[in-house]
Amino acid sequence: MVTGRWLHSIVLSAFLAPLTPVHGGAPSVSGTVTSGDGEGVADAVVFVQAPAPAPGHTRVSQVLDQIHKTFVPGLLPIVVGTSVRFPNHDQIHHHVYSFSPAKTFELPLYKGEDAPEVLFDKVGVVKIGCNIHDWMSGIILVLPSPHFTVTDAQGRFVLGALPAGDYTLVAWHELSKIKPDATAQPVRVGGEAIHVSFRLPLAPARARPAMHGVRGEP
Amino acid sequence: MSWSRASLRSKIFVSFSTLTLGVLVATLGLTQLVVGRDAARTLNRELRTTGQVFESLLQERAARLQSNSILLANDFALKRVFATHFDPASYDAETLASAGMSYRERLGVELVWMADEAGTLLAASPARAQPRESLATLSPLKEAMESQAAASDVVQIDGKLFQVVAVPVLAPDVIGFLMLGQVIDDSVAARLKQDTHSDVSFLTPAHVFASTWPADSRSRLLELVAHLPGAAAETLPRPVTMGEERFVSLALPIAAHLSTPLYALIQGSYDKALAPLHALQWRIAAIGAAALVTALLTGLLLSANITGPVRTLVDAMSEVARGNLRHRARVERHDELGFLARSFNVMVGGLQEKEHIKDTFGRFVSHDVAEAVLNNRVPLTGERLEVSILFQDIRGFSALSEWFDPATLLRVLNQLFTEVVAAVEAEGGMVKQFTGDGVMALFGAPRPCQDHPQRAVRAALGLVARLAGLNEELAVQGLPPLRIGVGIHAGEVVAGLIGPDQRVEYGVVGDAVNLASRVEELTKTFGATILISRQIADRLGPEFALGRTALLPVKGKAQPVEVIEVVAGSHAHADSAA
Repeated sequence: MVTGRWLHSIVLSAFLAPLTPVHGGAPSVSGTVTSGDGEGVADAVVFVQAPAPAPGHTRVSQVLDQIHKTFVPGLLPIVVGTSVRFPNHDQIHHHVYSFSPAKTFELPLYKGEDAPEVLFDKVGVVKIGCNIHDWMSGIILVLPSPHFTVTDAQGRFVLGALPAGDYTLVAWHELSKIKPDATAQPVRVGGEAIHVSFRLPLAPARARPAMHGVRGEP
Repeated sequence: MSWSRASLRSKIFVSFSTLTLGVLVATLGLTQLVVGRDAARTLNRELRTTGQVFESLLQERAARLQSNSILLANDFALKRVFATHFDPASYDAETLASAGMSYRERLGVELVWMADEAGTLLAASPARAQPRESLATLSPLKEAMESQAAASDVVQIDGKLFQVVAVPVLAPDVIGFLMLGQVIDDSVAARLKQDTHSDVSFLTPAHVFASTWPADSRSRLLELVAHLPGAAAETLPRPVTMGEERFVSLALPIAAHLSTPLYALIQGSYDKALAPLHALQWRIAAIGAAALVTALLTGLLLSANITGPVRTLVDAMSEVARGNLRHRARVERHDELGFLARSFNVMVGGLQEKEHIKDTFGRFVSHDVAEAVLNNRVPLTGERLEVSILFQDIRGFSALSEWFDPATLLRVLNQLFTEVVAAVEAEGGMVKQFTGDGVMALFGAPRPCQDHPQRAVRAALGLVARLAGLNEELAVQGLPPLRIGVGIHAGEVVAGLIGPDQRVEYGVVGDAVNLASRVEELTKTFGATILISRQIADRLGPEFALGRTALLPVKGKAQPVEVIEVVAGSHAHADSAA
């Protein structure tokens, strides 16, 4: 996918700086993500692209649930090296898969907690589907660093607990017309609060297959 | 021969034929007009309906192709193979191509192409010359890429016309596109013709892609769409001639991505649509011909039926005109002609009877009297009438019979009687009877009149004058003169038809008749030529000169009868008055 390939070509920022201690837990970076027409963009992920910690560090596992034939949450940002469990809370089978280059996997027909954890060891967008239910669609965004956040309904975000230092911030949205690299903004985190604005022109949402029996009907 | 002189038979015959022929021609003409127009209208309507059916068939075909494509694109194995293109290391072009071939067989389509999400061809069945050509600008893939949804179009690929559907392969987002194509060729046109019974062609003004027409007719098809406005539907079906046959053709524009507009040309045979009309017309003509023959025969029969009796009647009339009143028209019918014939026969019967009566009457009465009687001015049933009765006799007839030879006697008698009749009829009287040498005449019967005494006396005076002329002729011949006596009396008599059936005749009876005869006899003894009774004398005007008067005894009468002499000399005045 076009949106899935950009992370292959991440170039580390030239502004890499030594990490500095955090002052008193105050929000260090906040800002907004707006669309082309100035509206706040919800569910955009703002994350630190650089510096990134060394890969291979295993994190605690995350959960992408299946409730009422829907992936919950629909968007799950994780740091690379995180394992994700796919518990099925429906009374029916699901067949979870992804053909995304960042992670191709398949959990053939299963119920409950039977499926094994899946390790996401490559940065990128992993689009998750269900072979049985066409409308079921989820995204696991595998990020290079643990510093990320998701915008609220007004497009606002707060990236807290970021140690002082120089960072490259990137904004991503599923429907963004521009690649994440093109949104990169260098920030220097010090004692003062920093405000960052991202502008993401959005493509119209694609019509999805209809969802039926969402409220617990098989 | 002019119409007015034509025979009734010819007129009836010609009228019947003309009428029937007219009805036949009118029926045929009207049928041609109404049914022909109706057939054309029906054909146009059918063609439009066919056009609609046709469009929905094409749409349904596209929809079926699309749903097949969507089903196929959701095949998990396909998704899995498709996804291999993300990683050049695992990309399996051969498997993809063989999968494409398998799908082509499975769905019975002519084209299966697979492209990645950027529109680059991954695999094609049948195989393409360029393995990784870009299809991004090719319709309908272009639309599908833009909309991320299924798109359909009609396109030209390698000189053939294809209906192509492009659908995204979702996993769950777009990972590529699957394109399925069905060729539109002669076999498709043939199938559509089976369903719609119309000739079908797919063509642009430059090229016929598919058609139910044979190859040699196709250049004609190109002309039919050469000058059409591209986008607008041809609203009116147009008549065209293909070979020997007339067609109505409707061009439906078909949405397609070609350099020139694509049409589906639907054609219905006008001649075939009219075939039932022609069959109908033949039938009408056959029925009409039968009706014509029947009408002619009926006309002949009818005219014979009418003119036969008419001829019989005409013959009968000719016969009657020649004087044969005994002839009757023999027409045994109960219609108007029969009635006419019976009326004619009754009329001739009446004429015959009248003629007979006239004949019988004419011997005894004057022509005027006979006419009066026959014209119903005189009742023949018997009636009481006041009349004057005149008797005339030849004085000394016995001596004359000896003097004359019989032939001379009869001739002289007849001459006298001719004069008597003339004198009586001159005064409107009726010579009732010849009594040997005498005559009895009536005045006031059968036709009543008021002045019968004057008439009778004038007739007597006239007779005397005529007798003078006759006596002069007799003198020239050396014969002795005739002397006569005339007696006149007036009185009431019963007049009517008297006698047995075979010999019935008009007559009067009564005492007055006898007395008149007696008065005449008295002329000999009294020595007068004309004697009248008192009843006469009282009713004469002053213009008559009366002479001597006497009371004389009469046979059979107790009382003597008064008689008056009429002086012949006064006649000159009376004659001129008459």
